[in-house]
Amino acid sequence: MALVDIVAHIPPARIAQDNAFFRTARQPSAVVGVLLLGFVVAMALLANQIFPGDPLDFVGQPFQRPGEDPSFPLGTDMLGRDLASGIFHGARISLLIGAVATAMSLVIGVGVGAFAGYYGGKIDASLMRLTEFFQTIPPFLFALTIVAILQPSIATIVGAIGVTAWPSLARLVRAEFLKLRHGDMVQAEIALGASDMRIIFRHLLPNTLAPIIVSASVMVATAILTESSLAFLGLGDPNVVSWGGMVGAGREVLRSDWYIATLPGVAIVVAVLALNLLGDGLNDAVDPKQERR
Amino acid sequence: MKLFRAISFQTSLVARLSVLLAAVAVLPATPACAADGPKRGGTLTAIVQPEPVTLTPAFNTATPTQIVAGNIFDGLVYYDPALKPQPSLATEWKVAEDGLTISFNLRKGVKWHDGKPFSSADVKWSLENVWKTIHPRNKAIFENVATVDTPDDNTIILHLSKPSLPILSVLNAVGAPILPKHLYEGTDILNNAYNNKPVGTGAFVFKEWKKGEYILLERNPDYWEPAKPYLDKVIFRIIPDAAARAAAIEKGEVQYATFNPVSFREVERLAKLPSLKVDTRGYDWLSPVLYLDFNVENQYLKDVRVRQAIAFALDKEALGKVVWYGYGKPAVSPVPTALTAFHDASVPKYPFDLKKAEALLDEAGFRRGPDGVRFTLHHDFLPYGDDYKRTGEYLKQALKRVGIEINIRAQDTAAFIKRVYADRDFDISSSYNGAFPDPQIGVVREYWSGWLGSKTPWTNGSGYRNAEVDGLIQAAAVEGNPKKRTEDFNRFQQIVQRDLPTLPLLELRFFTLHSSALKDVVLQADQSYGSLKNAWFDQAPAQN
Repeated sequence: MALVDIVAHIPPARIAQDNAFFRTARQPSAVVGVLLLGFVVAMALLANQIFPGDPLDFVGQPFQRPGEDPSFPLGTDMLGRDLASGIFHGARISLLIGAVATAMSLVIGVGVGAFAGYYGGKIDASLMRLTEFFQTIPPFLFALTIVAILQPSIATIVGAIGVTAWPSLARLVRAEFLKLRHGDMVQAEIALGASDMRIIFRHLLPNTLAPIIVSASVMVATAILTESSLAFLGLGDPNVVSWGGMVGAGREVLRSDWYIATLPGVAIVVAVLALNLLGDGLNDAVDPKQERR
Repeated sequence: MKLFRAISFQTSLVARLSVLLAAVAVLPATPACAADGPKRGGTLTAIVQPEPVTLTPAFNTATPTQIVAGNIFDGLVYYDPALKPQPSLATEWKVAEDGLTISFNLRKGVKWHDGKPFSSADVKWSLENVWKTIHPRNKAIFENVATVDTPDDNTIILHLSKPSLPILSVLNAVGAPILPKHLYEGTDILNNAYNNKPVGTGAFVFKEWKKGEYILLERNPDYWEPAKPYLDKVIFRIIPDAAARAAAIEKGEVQYATFNPVSFREVERLAKLPSLKVDTRGYDWLSPVLYLDFNVENQYLKDVRVRQAIAFALDKEALGKVVWYGYGKPAVSPVPTALTAFHDASVPKYPFDLKKAEALLDEAGFRRGPDGVRFTLHHDFLPYGDDYKRTGEYLKQALKRVGIEINIRAQDTAAFIKRVYADRDFDISSSYNGAFPDPQIGVVREYWSGWLGSKTPWTNGSGYRNAEVDGLIQAAAVEGNPKKRTEDFNRFQQIVQRDLPTLPLLELRFFTLHSSALKDVVLQADQSYGSLKNAWFDQAPAQN
């Protein structure tokens, strides 16, 4: 069969849908992920409408089980705080921390990876030693240390997660850049007199975007988990309600009042699962080896 | 002060005889009848949390050290439930009319665990080298002891330059620990190897310390008190996780645990089990009080009306019931009610009254802004666990109602101590202090300006300076007349409760969990730091 015939046999509809968006939409896990994430985002956006007022206020009798009092559908905790309100408002903090910390990691990780991969040589060597320095310390312990020293607040937690989560991303971006750096496209651009910055940001970066997006979605999930773990260990910001903080507080009454720790725990599971499913779906969609299954 | 009750060597002979007689009397009876008296045998597994840093209470008064050491060392006395000293290594004592001479008769025939005889030289050496110098609570109390005489091996006489009445309130095994002179003399006490393998005269002998796992003590067969102790072994296990502690206690693996070993909610559940008992006695000797320190140099808190407004805005009843699950009683004065001789119930009081709080704040000139907020303060809580964190959360919500925004700061213990007592970079802190049986020991340290600048933790955190209060504290320290001394302390309480540099919140009640098969386990006011020599098993636990 001639090449022309093969092309002719591909149905036109298939060509139209053959972009990352539609390929993602065809992944069932991605669809579930998007739906769950949409639900969590909706919780965050509607928190003030559905549960006006301070979620940290002592509004009811302590230790009310879910459904015991219709005004507190998910019950109250040991100080009489509304658990449902805490979970809704906690979604804001978790998403905020996840998004901002990931943005920070992206800037550092992509920056380091891009310059190291593009320039090579001494710049590459020094940037990679820096990356390795960060990689030798387990990111969670590193974040824990930073927060413990600087004292827990939203800003320090975001900062700690942001500056510890980027090394793997930097290596990923560097590898992609190395692959493309000596390819024909870059050589042609150099020949045409394009500046380094133009080559990096206009041409190389868009070509490495797919793996970055995939890892970013997982990084958001990891950031949420890290914040929860920090709060669970008592290093959350005590002035805001967070899922990890709720689990940590409820843990000491786990045997007698399981729901206080379990319900915010479920919220963490849903958010992290959503982001991981989305990441998986995106990964499958952008991986050329899986394109025609 | 008059002569106290004395147990002579003779009476202990009588006791020994009566035990013998009792043993003969129950011989023909069925074993069930034997349950009427203490039974020998059994291994007690207890919890010490967190793991102690050292096992010698001479220079470290951390709770875990004292819990274990109380079994290895004997004091000159112990404290009965009414906080009266009772004979231990001292059989009798006498305080001269003018309070300047205190003499002790020491028990004869007492041996250190290594077999060497115990004598007045050990007490003299410990007083001069430990109590007066390195013991964190005792320095001021023994300061006025000028000379110590030991006319014979069993007599010790203290000559004081000025009276020091609180001496008789700190003479138990951890308050004034007696170390073996023959092992410590001429050594660097702080780094002596015996600090971690202590040699005492107590009912239990130190055997093994497996770091991170357990501390093993065995019965002292040569103990001076006949028939005691009843237990063969005491194992202090280290279980860092509260949920694991609760499980071990519930399963019966652990039969004795002090200082709130499980969460309050968990104890409600465990208290219902027939196999377990909850006891809140045995902590009276330390009388812990939860309090807020106001930094009186803060631009808002330097106004006494603001401090009083905060006192009115806090519902201490609710704080005790909800935040401390009933294990706290509203405090009226910094001197807790357990110190009956010194507590003054007529001090200025601050019942829960939001209107009064708002009025005082308005009067002080701090009106609510357009967002309803008058001003913002930081709060630092003692990082000893969730109870203290919840106290901070309560404070935040309670003060929000009167327009004071509170920003809670979490940190570790070292950072907390540095911030409050060294850097003084705080607005309101919460913590607790043991008052101990005499205000001189545990209360006045929070108010005496002499501590300022010393950076000593758990002293004057507020930065309070009042010449009259200082004068009263110093007068009471050297006052030999108990009545006059009580008057000084009453006046002291009146002033500090009016000025409120420190707001006493709750008289905390710690609890002990123990197996119902374990009998006679809490017999002393200082039991939580005391010896388990009276404890016995009705039914020995299954060993694993």
